[in-house]
Amino acid sequence: MRPRVLVAMSGGVDSSVAAALVAESGAEAVGVTMKLLGREGVGFGCCGSPADVQDAKRVCEKLGISHYTVDMAELFNDAVIKPFIDAYAAGRTPNPCVECNRKVKFGHLLGLAQAWGCDTVATGHYARVEGGRLLRSRDEAKDQTYFLYALTARELGKVSFPVGGLSKDEVRAKARELGLKTADKPESMETCFVPGRDVKGFLAAHGVAPQPGRVVNAAGETLGEHAGYAGLTVGQRKGLGVTTKAPVFVTRIEPETNTVVVGGKDETFSKGLTATGVTWTGAAPGAPTRIHARIRHRHAPAAALLTVAGETASLSFEAPQASVTPGQAVVFYAGDEVLGGGTIVRGEPS
Amino acid sequence: MTAYFDHNATTPVRPEVVDAMLPWLREGFGNPNSVYSLGQKARAAVERARAQAAGLLGAADESEVVFTSGGSESDVLAIAGAAWQARDESGGKRRKVVTSAIEHDAVRLLVSQLRRRGFEVVEAGCGADGVVDLDAMTKAATDDAAVVSLMHSNNETGVLQPVAALAAALKGRGVLLHTDAVQSAGKVPLSVKTLGVDLLALSGHKLNAPKGVGALWVRKGTRLSPVVTGHQERNRRGGTENVASIVGFGLACELAARELEAHAARDLQLRRRVEAAVLAIPGSRVNGGGERLPNTVHASFEGLDGHHLVVALDLEGVCASSGPACSSGASTPSHVLTAMGVDPVRSTGSIRLSTGWGTTDADLERLLAVLPKAVERLRGKVPA
Repeated sequence: MRPRVLVAMSGGVDSSVAAALVAESGAEAVGVTMKLLGREGVGFGCCGSPADVQDAKRVCEKLGISHYTVDMAELFNDAVIKPFIDAYAAGRTPNPCVECNRKVKFGHLLGLAQAWGCDTVATGHYARVEGGRLLRSRDEAKDQTYFLYALTARELGKVSFPVGGLSKDEVRAKARELGLKTADKPESMETCFVPGRDVKGFLAAHGVAPQPGRVVNAAGETLGEHAGYAGLTVGQRKGLGVTTKAPVFVTRIEPETNTVVVGGKDETFSKGLTATGVTWTGAAPGAPTRIHARIRHRHAPAAALLTVAGETASLSFEAPQASVTPGQAVVFYAGDEVLGGGTIVRGEPS
Repeated sequence: MTAYFDHNATTPVRPEVVDAMLPWLREGFGNPNSVYSLGQKARAAVERARAQAAGLLGAADESEVVFTSGGSESDVLAIAGAAWQARDESGGKRRKVVTSAIEHDAVRLLVSQLRRRGFEVVEAGCGADGVVDLDAMTKAATDDAAVVSLMHSNNETGVLQPVAALAAALKGRGVLLHTDAVQSAGKVPLSVKTLGVDLLALSGHKLNAPKGVGALWVRKGTRLSPVVTGHQERNRRGGTENVASIVGFGLACELAARELEAHAARDLQLRRRVEAAVLAIPGSRVNGGGERLPNTVHASFEGLDGHHLVVALDLEGVCASSGPACSSGASTPSHVLTAMGVDPVRSTGSIRLSTGWGTTDADLERLLAVLPKAVERLRGKVPA
């Protein structure tokens, strides 16, 4: 029996080509587009907006494969949007893509795929799986493993990333060669459910009303007033509402006192960090291990010593790192391989 | 091979119907309204089809049949046409439309339009069995009512509706009664004499004719304001006749009438086997009570989403339906089941299986082999 592969299709070029490659491999490709937003939220370009669903359908017709839509708006709201809002309200900077991958794509959708008799789920992510190991994509600039660290052995045996071995240019060329209508579709860079990248507006619309508070320096001296800390991010320089001679950056957010702490560039560096909710793609390291850690998407992995205690991990960097941001993911690498990762709780000031 | 269990959505066109149509797409392309013989031949074909359609309904006069583009248009011509006409003739007094809460969207969306344009709309509810509240409809049809519309059978549950009883109750009230019989034609006997209605809608593609053709039966003497204006169809429906499709539709009506008993008996036999298979699955039930179409099973399964089940069945080569909204990927609770008081969770865990001409024992075997496994797998899937 030829394998049946569910291809999660956003309506973009990467998942379109992923579907084409699955179909070319001789497997039975089944295209699925998830509707992630409720009816009131579908006015903008997003996973499963009506226009994107139509694009995915046209691609599947061209490839001669089946396509279905599944409504996961309720799950997406509970597992991704609500925690996103809660995190900002608590002064953290959430990473919704990690949660979407963990709970929606490689959680619920993977479960559905198995119920539908699919052997694997393929997506258009730039990453590779080889022998159950999660590896960075060939196109280093496009690598998306930062968002995929939460995959464990259970999922890694059932997923594939067909474009992980290609560059973006090769993906577009393949789409053009096949005459797929998504070949030249622009890339979406924003958080898919936040219209126009307006995080503050989105939070305000979802009950996180901005509360003005103090902006202080490390010594506790008031420098000015912020318009509400929700939406601010550690390392951020602009939009703080203070004027100082030397540029200042957010170094810490203290929700309990509604205070934003700022400092000079040097004060944004951390010599280490603590992370929670840590998961592993394979076995957890038993003893302190030298690894490279990525603390944000596209951050050049920094050498660090990793110590694990249950679901908590602490890192000490060989060289201090700028803007360690609570709420963001930290991902551990050994060369190209993703070992695991977790959510940053706090940085350790250097 | 695909095992097709969605005859209530559309049906395959019978080969003899295709054969009958082809000459009218090729050499017989004339306009039935033309003077020359090429047109006369087309006219004769259309009129033969009219007699065949009248025959299916037991209509005394074939001129009572108006060809349309299908069931939706027939419903619009009947309801809007009657409502506008009655309002105008009564000097604005008759401005109420009475219908049920379980009608097809063709009717539901139309009456909500009429409501926006000044008509009062009353939608009678139904019981837990899916039978519309006859008393409520009768009471709502006061002397300011322009038209009353009740479907002959429900497209989702297959539950037959008390159309004849409603017609008897409305006798002498001067209000027109329409029935959407799209889902009943060819499945249960349809006689306009017995029913006592003024208007009755049919659709071609629900009885093995092509899509894009249908008819409205209009009792002689009934005045309707046309929707598609023009001289054709005795001024009731404009537009050059869709000759080939009308010919196909006519033949399909004749075949449906001739084979009604045999098909109904066969469908009923299949339905019983489908129902037995459904009920053998724990946590399942068949929706709708009273008398139902012989070909329709509407089933609910606890602990799953009907849309997911439809996809699972399709991947194993079985076509079924989880309701009109399924293309959106959302199993929204059906308005019919909501009207029956079915809770939304059970409602979204439902699918419809409908048989018809061409359903084979092999199809049934396929369904019976695939359905229990698909239900079990969906129930056991990794939770969110």
